[in-house]
Amino acid sequence: MKDNVHSLLGPYVVNAVTPAERDAFRDHMVACEDCRDEVASLTEVTATLADAQAVTPPRSLRDSVMAEAAQTAQLLPLDDGLDATATGTTHAVTETTETTETTTVSAPVTDISVGSTRHVRGSHRFGRRGALAGIAAASVLLMAAAGIGLSVHNSRQEQLVAEQELMMVTTAPDAHSMDLDLGAAHLVMSDRMNGLVAMGHEAPMPDKGMEYQLWLVMDDGKSMPGPTFMPEEDGEFVAIMHTSFDGVTGFAVTQEPTGGSQEPTSNPVSEVQL
Amino acid sequence: MSTARHLRAVSSGDRAVADGASSTSSGLDPSESSPLAHAAHSVDLAPLLLQTGQGSTSAYEQLYNEIAGSVFGVALRVVRDSHMAQDVAQEALVEVWRHAARYRADAGSARSWILTIAQRRAVDRVRSEQAHTNRILNHAPRDQVVPADQDEVVNTMFAQWQGARVRAGLAALTERQREALELTYFKGYTHYEVALALNVPLGTAKARVRDGLIKLRDAWEADA
Repeated sequence: MKDNVHSLLGPYVVNAVTPAERDAFRDHMVACEDCRDEVASLTEVTATLADAQAVTPPRSLRDSVMAEAAQTAQLLPLDDGLDATATGTTHAVTETTETTETTTVSAPVTDISVGSTRHVRGSHRFGRRGALAGIAAASVLLMAAAGIGLSVHNSRQEQLVAEQELMMVTTAPDAHSMDLDLGAAHLVMSDRMNGLVAMGHEAPMPDKGMEYQLWLVMDDGKSMPGPTFMPEEDGEFVAIMHTSFDGVTGFAVTQEPTGGSQEPTSNPVSEVQL
Repeated sequence: MSTARHLRAVSSGDRAVADGASSTSSGLDPSESSPLAHAAHSVDLAPLLLQTGQGSTSAYEQLYNEIAGSVFGVALRVVRDSHMAQDVAQEALVEVWRHAARYRADAGSARSWILTIAQRRAVDRVRSEQAHTNRILNHAPRDQVVPADQDEVVNTMFAQWQGARVRAGLAALTERQREALELTYFKGYTHYEVALALNVPLGTAKARVRDGLIKLRDAWEADA
């Protein structure tokens, strides 16, 4: 499983990863000096690629940059750094160092629950009419036994990425659909895209204080935690998971206390054998 | 390079738009030839970034002079629209101002830290501007728009030098590695999209990106 994170190194350096993967890889780098060094080294390569593109910008760029900088508060160094010091720019900060560096690996379950409650709007972009009118998506990268989830943000960027991930999996050449007994639902998996999507409608609401959680059932009998999800009022739901399918023999959905669990604490409400 | 642009470049003398910039419209093509008339190395920007992080606007202006050409250039290369590139460059440069105090030398050079921000901003922009399918199905280049009112103070001399290095390095890559870097770094594809567009397994797509970067590094280290 660790190899999965390592393999993100190249894509990470060229920003070809999803926000969830970026967070996961940064978490990984905290503990992995080799990856840190390699990223620093390969980032110099990309800087050279960028330098070769240099073009003299218009004078107006300087004026507007200086004007905006003059009104933009600077962040303190990370040690004392809280984003509260930032009051200036109104730009949507799509991804900033401080948000990811404060992400902790120690509470992966909580992260998952946060990720799972993201609501992806505007799903008509999928071209899948009303069935996905309002969907909650979770993207989880599986690292060792712990899922590393998403940051709290529910930015448009992340929604788009979630939509893209969903489409990548469901339209993959090797996409494989399986019925899931949770209202009218199914699972779609793509080995090629390393992705699993659970989606459907008419799902009953879980018990009070509970959420659904998706699990990978492994060949050693253990279950690997996936994202939690809640149906919309009309019972629609979507959950997305990034994972390899090595050693996976099936999938399960359980009800878990809000925030999800590391191991299933209840019998599955639905099971699918591969 | 268009005639008009060439004339402008000539008339602006030493601050001429370096020829390396012409690769903005033609991509990672090692066969593209450009005479290396001037070799200008890039300077270490860490001291300027450090002072910027302490609130020095004059350091920030100098930093701008050194880096704005590359920031704007890479933004233009990715988003392929001059107005949007200015917007992206502004976002990136203000982010540099805002985050300067958080730069850490162990994460790489100041220059690469800034350019990573610029490329990421540009990539984020194309991902949100363009429907994903459009990007996959149609990635024909758009004409580059040359800004009318160029800022002569901005240093782009190294573009020519780096352009030559880049072409030499790219020649060492396999076509597939070059393609993977082109799609990710300059077109903003995620590794999932690369896998889908090239019809290769995800692991292969990820490996091509990394192998390509490593090969470029090795090629450049050899001639350093």
